[in-house]
Amino acid sequence: MYLIELSNYSLVVEGFGNSLKDIYFTLTKGDACAIRAATADAYIFLKALATLVGPQTGTYSYMGEVIDFSDYRNLLPFKKKIGYIGLDSAMLSNKTVRENLLLMRSYFENSLSLDIDAKTLKLCRIFNIEDKLDIRPGELRPIDLRIAIAIRELTKSFDVLLLERPEDYFGYNSFGLFNEILKDTLEHGHGFVFFCNNQNFIDAFANREVLITDGTLAKAPKLV
Amino acid sequence: MEQILGSVGRKTIKSVNHVLDLCALTYRIFTLIFKRPQTGRVIVKRVVLEQIYFTCVEALTIIIPIALLIGSILIVQFAKYAGHYDLGKTTVILIVRELGPIVTAFLVILRSATAVTIEIGYMNVLNEIEAFEMAGLDPMWIVCLPRMVGITAAVCCLFIVFDLVSIIGGYGLVWLITNIPMGNFLDQIGKAITAADIAVGIVKALCFGVIITVTSLSHGFNIKKNITEIPVGTSKAAIESIIFCLIGNIIISAIFYL
Repeated sequence: MYLIELSNYSLVVEGFGNSLKDIYFTLTKGDACAIRAATADAYIFLKALATLVGPQTGTYSYMGEVIDFSDYRNLLPFKKKIGYIGLDSAMLSNKTVRENLLLMRSYFENSLSLDIDAKTLKLCRIFNIEDKLDIRPGELRPIDLRIAIAIRELTKSFDVLLLERPEDYFGYNSFGLFNEILKDTLEHGHGFVFFCNNQNFIDAFANREVLITDGTLAKAPKLV
Repeated sequence: MEQILGSVGRKTIKSVNHVLDLCALTYRIFTLIFKRPQTGRVIVKRVVLEQIYFTCVEALTIIIPIALLIGSILIVQFAKYAGHYDLGKTTVILIVRELGPIVTAFLVILRSATAVTIEIGYMNVLNEIEAFEMAGLDPMWIVCLPRMVGITAAVCCLFIVFDLVSIIGGYGLVWLITNIPMGNFLDQIGKAITAADIAVGIVKALCFGVIITVTSLSHGFNIKKNITEIPVGTSKAAIESIIFCLIGNIIISAIFYL
């Protein structure tokens, strides 16, 4: 069974490249798929995979279940299982970083007196934002904010991780560190789709590539 | 002529659509009250309390002086011109039935409705609503419902504070600084006021709370990706809230008093 299957998927978003035209895409467990495309096309493709935009025609199936995009509430259980680290990802500005990192747990465990778990705390320590947990995201440096968002997504129990331009996202200093952590975080059962212009990163993580040209999808030469 | 008719028709359809959208949003928020989802209740409770604090507690320092000023001015005018025989009745009609709910609503619109529209607008523009959704959280449950409950509760509380301060405080102020004869003012108020007057005031406050919240939320959510839409949306939300509250006030008064 595919983790994600897009069939005859078409999407036009004004101002974003060629959008997607009648594409077929599948992602299985253990897949790590690199996207080769224009930035705007890759952005919209990742958004589509994250169910943040819905198709005009075609279907999106998650673990064999066709997602109904007519009501945003239908999408929430699927979104919960997708980690999305995009350049436009955000944290809630009226909550502290700690509250942001605990938000999902507070919501689903119905408690406000939770402590950050050891794994999240370890990542905060590694990325040197442990002392910034009690300030609001607006007060963080942009790079620290992105790191905090990445930690939030990496510690979410995701099935699929979507990543956009990690080399720009993390900056020169934290990129290598992130690569190491990502290697530890990604398990065999996870799907991973990313858009990256760094060939070393692609070589290290991708086991296949897709090429988006003029809004259509083509298989790039096999990597592994 | 056809162009004018067409333009009027299009604007009418747009306005009707907008009102229907507001009704749909109200319905959706109300269904959540009855569905009572199990998850996220502590967060919802916390946001409700925060909203009550911002809208009610922080507004007390503004509404108390306003109520005192309005109450004392009205009592002076009534005492001088209406004669103290009708003083209690006139005060109840004007302050409890009409001015109390509407002045409270206007104050909440100025302070909180605009703030809610701006907050939601920013959340939309900065992808914070997306962040909620990507975490599997329902923004309607965690953002809209607490604001509706908080603002509605706040309007009700502020209405009661306004009435008490404007009548008792206004009377006290006039008694302290003027020599205007007012007879037994508080006794007259006691005789003039009925349970229906208080009930109608509370009904108005409840309706205004819902109207203000839904209008400001709707305009906040209509702001998509452009930060320059926020001031426009905020202005529209404030004006629409005032208009809808005035219309609501007329309808409720007509239902109960005609």
